[in-house]
Amino acid sequence: MNCEKTREYMIELIDGRLAGPAGDEVRAHLEACPACRAELGELRETLAALDRLPAPEPSPRLRERVLAAVEREKRSLHSAPTPAPLTRRRSWLFPATQALAACGLLALGFFIGTRRAPPGADLATQRELADLRSRVDSMGQLVGYSILQQQDRSSNDRLEGVLASAAVRKPGDTVINGLITSLALDPSVNVRLNALQALYAHRDKEVVRTSVLVSLPRETSPLVQLAMIDFLAATRDRGAAPALQRLSAADGIDHNVREAAQRALTQL
Amino acid sequence: MTTGSLDFPVQLRPPERRFGLSLPVDRTEPSSDHELMLAVRGGELDALGELFERHQRPLLGFLVNLTGDRTAAEDIAQTVFQRMLKYRHTYRDDGSFTAWMYHLARRCAADHYRKSSSQPAAVDPAELSEHADEGPTAPERAAHGEDREILRRALACLGPDEREVLLLSRFQELSFAQVAGVLECSVGAARVRAHRALAELRRHFLKLQKGACP
Repeated sequence: MNCEKTREYMIELIDGRLAGPAGDEVRAHLEACPACRAELGELRETLAALDRLPAPEPSPRLRERVLAAVEREKRSLHSAPTPAPLTRRRSWLFPATQALAACGLLALGFFIGTRRAPPGADLATQRELADLRSRVDSMGQLVGYSILQQQDRSSNDRLEGVLASAAVRKPGDTVINGLITSLALDPSVNVRLNALQALYAHRDKEVVRTSVLVSLPRETSPLVQLAMIDFLAATRDRGAAPALQRLSAADGIDHNVREAAQRALTQL
Repeated sequence: MTTGSLDFPVQLRPPERRFGLSLPVDRTEPSSDHELMLAVRGGELDALGELFERHQRPLLGFLVNLTGDRTAAEDIAQTVFQRMLKYRHTYRDDGSFTAWMYHLARRCAADHYRKSSSQPAAVDPAELSEHADEGPTAPERAAHGEDREILRRALACLGPDEREVLLLSRFQELSFAQVAGVLECSVGAARVRAHRALAELRRHFLKLQKGACP
């Protein structure tokens, strides 16, 4: 231990935070080096004076402002997005998105079918599923095409459509399926997030839970991934465990998403 | 400040009080800072109120000494807690709340001065002397009062980076490894920078004490 290295450790030594071999070496050097001992004494004085500086008393206004921010955040968590006028609903749902809604429902029917198919399903069932898969593939292409056509509509228009759906008190399959399609396929993160939020009210429906589950591995936005994980954790659906496990172990995943998936696994 | 005996070997315990940095720890308090922040992350936002009560003084003390501007320090402290809310999802399971808070604090301070296009100003001793001294006895206060004012001015003579590393090193809750994490440098670099800053502080202090004001 030389003088230069000893100086590096002086603050920790003064604070009594230097233990182990490094501490022993520093102390041994100090015993043999009057210059370092003198410097240590001077620095200890300066640190002691620094530590004695009085702390300013925070003003009551700081507390008020911070607690107000907490209240604002709590309100924003509990408030639903402002629904768009219902008159816009018709323009969004009909007629172009009807086809999309049908495709989405069919795709989900397939996913639910595979999810529930018994391991030893008979040949007829397997053939039926294969046929369904083929139809879903074709429909998937159609959905992709329709979505591309939808690009002509601004994301604001699509968002308004989602919000209008969220405002429907007793939505039928068509409305829910429209939300599912938006969640799975809309290119806008904002639209997908709002679709997910709207679907939260219908999380008791298996079709909704499954749609979130099958959309999660394809989702690329960490924001939406986090919201989907929260959604699945809230449903306490054990069926979500494999997807969450895959996500928590996958490469290239945002660390916040990975940690959220690990947390959600403990909540299922 | 006068040079006293060296009092070697060195003390083995950290000083109990560090310019208001000691936390009002309630031994009956069941939740650690880390647990409270995990609760905030999980949606229990009221837990941030408890974290605010525990950390507002040390945080404000750090920011006042860092910026030399009490008004700016309060604004920055407010922003720090707002960002804790906003970025609560980024708090890690294996995180240290104190280290995370000071990481946010230095970012908020940098943003504050970027927006206002000004650099931290020197501390106004007149303003600082308004605050009550809670530590030493009355005779000690009289003896140290002038030195304290000079020390404030010496602190203001340091560069922002020097002030930052030195002030962070004074938090008992932060190891040098955590200080290095906050500053995004190696532990060795943090040690070297803190030592140089302290030596500079002493140099400025002695200079100011002799009346050689910069």
